[in-house]
Amino acid sequence: MDLQYYLQQLVNGICLGGMYALMSVGYSLVYSIMSFSNFAHGGVIMVGAYVGFFALTALKVPFLVAFLLCGVGSGLLAVIIERLVYSPLRKRRAPSLYFIISAMGASIFLENFVIATIDGTPRNYPTLFSNSIKIGSLSLGLDSLLMIIVSAVSLFVLMIIIQKTKIGLAIRACSYNEKAGTLMGINSSLVIFVVFLMGGVLAGFAGMLYGMRFIVKPTIGQVTNKSFVAAVFGGLGSLPGAIVGSLLLGIMEIFVASINSSLRDLFVYALLILVLIIKPSGLMGKPVEDKA
Amino acid sequence: MKTSRKLMTLVLACLMVAGVLVGCGGSKGDTIKLGWMGSLTGEQAAYGICESQTLKMMVEEKNAQGGILGKQIELICYDTKGDAQEAVNVAKRLCAQDKVCAIIGPNASGQCIAIQSVLDQYKVPDLSTVATNEKVTVQDGKLKEYNFRVCFLDPQQGKIAGSFVYDELKFDKAAILYDINDDYAKGLKDNFIKVFTAKGGTIVAEEAYTGGDTDFTAQLTKIKEADPQIIFTPIFYQDFIMIHKQARTLGIELPMLGGDGCASQVLFDAADAVDGSYVINHVSLVDPAGDDFRKQYADKWNGAKMELNGYMAHDAFLLWCAAVEKAGKADPDAIAKAYCEVEVTGMAGKIKISATDHNPVGKSGCVEQIDGKNKTYKFITYIAAD
Repeated sequence: MDLQYYLQQLVNGICLGGMYALMSVGYSLVYSIMSFSNFAHGGVIMVGAYVGFFALTALKVPFLVAFLLCGVGSGLLAVIIERLVYSPLRKRRAPSLYFIISAMGASIFLENFVIATIDGTPRNYPTLFSNSIKIGSLSLGLDSLLMIIVSAVSLFVLMIIIQKTKIGLAIRACSYNEKAGTLMGINSSLVIFVVFLMGGVLAGFAGMLYGMRFIVKPTIGQVTNKSFVAAVFGGLGSLPGAIVGSLLLGIMEIFVASINSSLRDLFVYALLILVLIIKPSGLMGKPVEDKA
Repeated sequence: MKTSRKLMTLVLACLMVAGVLVGCGGSKGDTIKLGWMGSLTGEQAAYGICESQTLKMMVEEKNAQGGILGKQIELICYDTKGDAQEAVNVAKRLCAQDKVCAIIGPNASGQCIAIQSVLDQYKVPDLSTVATNEKVTVQDGKLKEYNFRVCFLDPQQGKIAGSFVYDELKFDKAAILYDINDDYAKGLKDNFIKVFTAKGGTIVAEEAYTGGDTDFTAQLTKIKEADPQIIFTPIFYQDFIMIHKQARTLGIELPMLGGDGCASQVLFDAADAVDGSYVINHVSLVDPAGDDFRKQYADKWNGAKMELNGYMAHDAFLLWCAAVEKAGKADPDAIAKAYCEVEVTGMAGKIKISATDHNPVGKSGCVEQIDGKNKTYKFITYIAAD
């Protein structure tokens, strides 16, 4: 067990964490505005993975087109879910518990909808990037590299939108205080629309990258449980927190698994409980107690 | 409003009753009912679908030739969703409601073990296709009266794997990566270690994961560090594919050896990654002797490819037919008795069930190499299972 070994495990951890980051940002975005955990996010990611799969195999479009289709498909789906499921609740000023329950319902609905319309059989993406680059004895798959690059670029673009544009300013204002923002003339419906659209597009990218690296099946939405843990760990509602939390969680998970793989999930969920007990606001989150 | 709601309730109730009646009314006079259960959905759907389609094809053919004992065969297929609890429900339904004379399937050991109590209660024999765990027919030294199978067992498969790696490939350093939550994987792993180390081989790394995990990079990096000559992966095909993909991106170009759970046409979806690896199988999937059978299946099911399970379902059906004819009646107990008295030649060689353990005698396993470029298997060798 030399340095190379630990470096390789570190690279593995960053790859895993990069994927968590792409997924957990969706949780944090919605949480920052609407203060509830959008568990339908996993379903949106799963649908993204299917869109990419069928774009590549049935429509036979090039990778980049399929990738964009994933973003469009999942973005639309996220917006539709918001309009159909959350918007009526919002108009009634329902408590956030109602949102969470509806989100879980939407997630189970999506899973079963795919089983009923497509089927439950797992599918494999055609191999697009089988090569790997080697630095010394370190090995990094092109698909993993792509995943890190896509995660980094899309998260960077997202940060720019939020920090530098007018709609970003509106999002930040609403995340600080939605009521006051609305009083100041911010169209909060538009802000929510944009937030779901951005979260959905990222979910689509994440879905396709997940499918390429692993597998496509109706239950992949469940892997997002771990990215949710990452979002809580980093501090729900904080984008930099979600990214840092995801990377740290990925790296820690890999090192735990390299010691004893059966401790892996035990560790992740123990961490979730510990964070909620000791520091509910996570690494970088707003100090809010209501974190569900 | 109130009346319309009442009316609605009435209509719905009528529909439900009608549904139940339709569900029961499947029997068409005097037929011989054969039950099948297995995964039509879920991870192992490819296996179950192939089994049920093969049986449907064979039953149709047999019925066209006049059926059995002068009666038509009625095949009733149910989905177990790959779940042991669901298998128990389905077995009850087949025995109590449909009153079948025998069951073929399910396609996994865990489900076969789970349905034993139902079989004993209703005294209906089950003939399993690919359930290789020891406990399917004998548990704690006690023979299960109504459980039979047409395939070899895990200890035999572990032995085939151990002999193949040491004697055929002449490797003496092997690593293992397996699902710690799966009885099938654990059984194969233990028996592989026993045989391989007895011959003089060393297990340089033994890594586990939990079913449902999708990231294997931590374990694979550890295995790479241990520098084995082959990785033994006694798991199912989906994990087999994911492990291959991740191993290749980590720069691990080693071949892997999978058990019969890996042998699937789905492997060729990831042809580049799995190229060069080996799988143990009950029958060679490229044997010219099976050409007619594969062609018949493809013609019937829109060019579908035959899985191993189709061959085993074929053999199980032949054995069932022989047993019914021997028994002279479609009586579950008589069929159970006749299973040990008949002998048939199926796709996987001669099948004769032993009365002492309800397992087939004198089977052998074949090892095939995956040829990713041509998307086919290359036959390597047959190894006796006993």
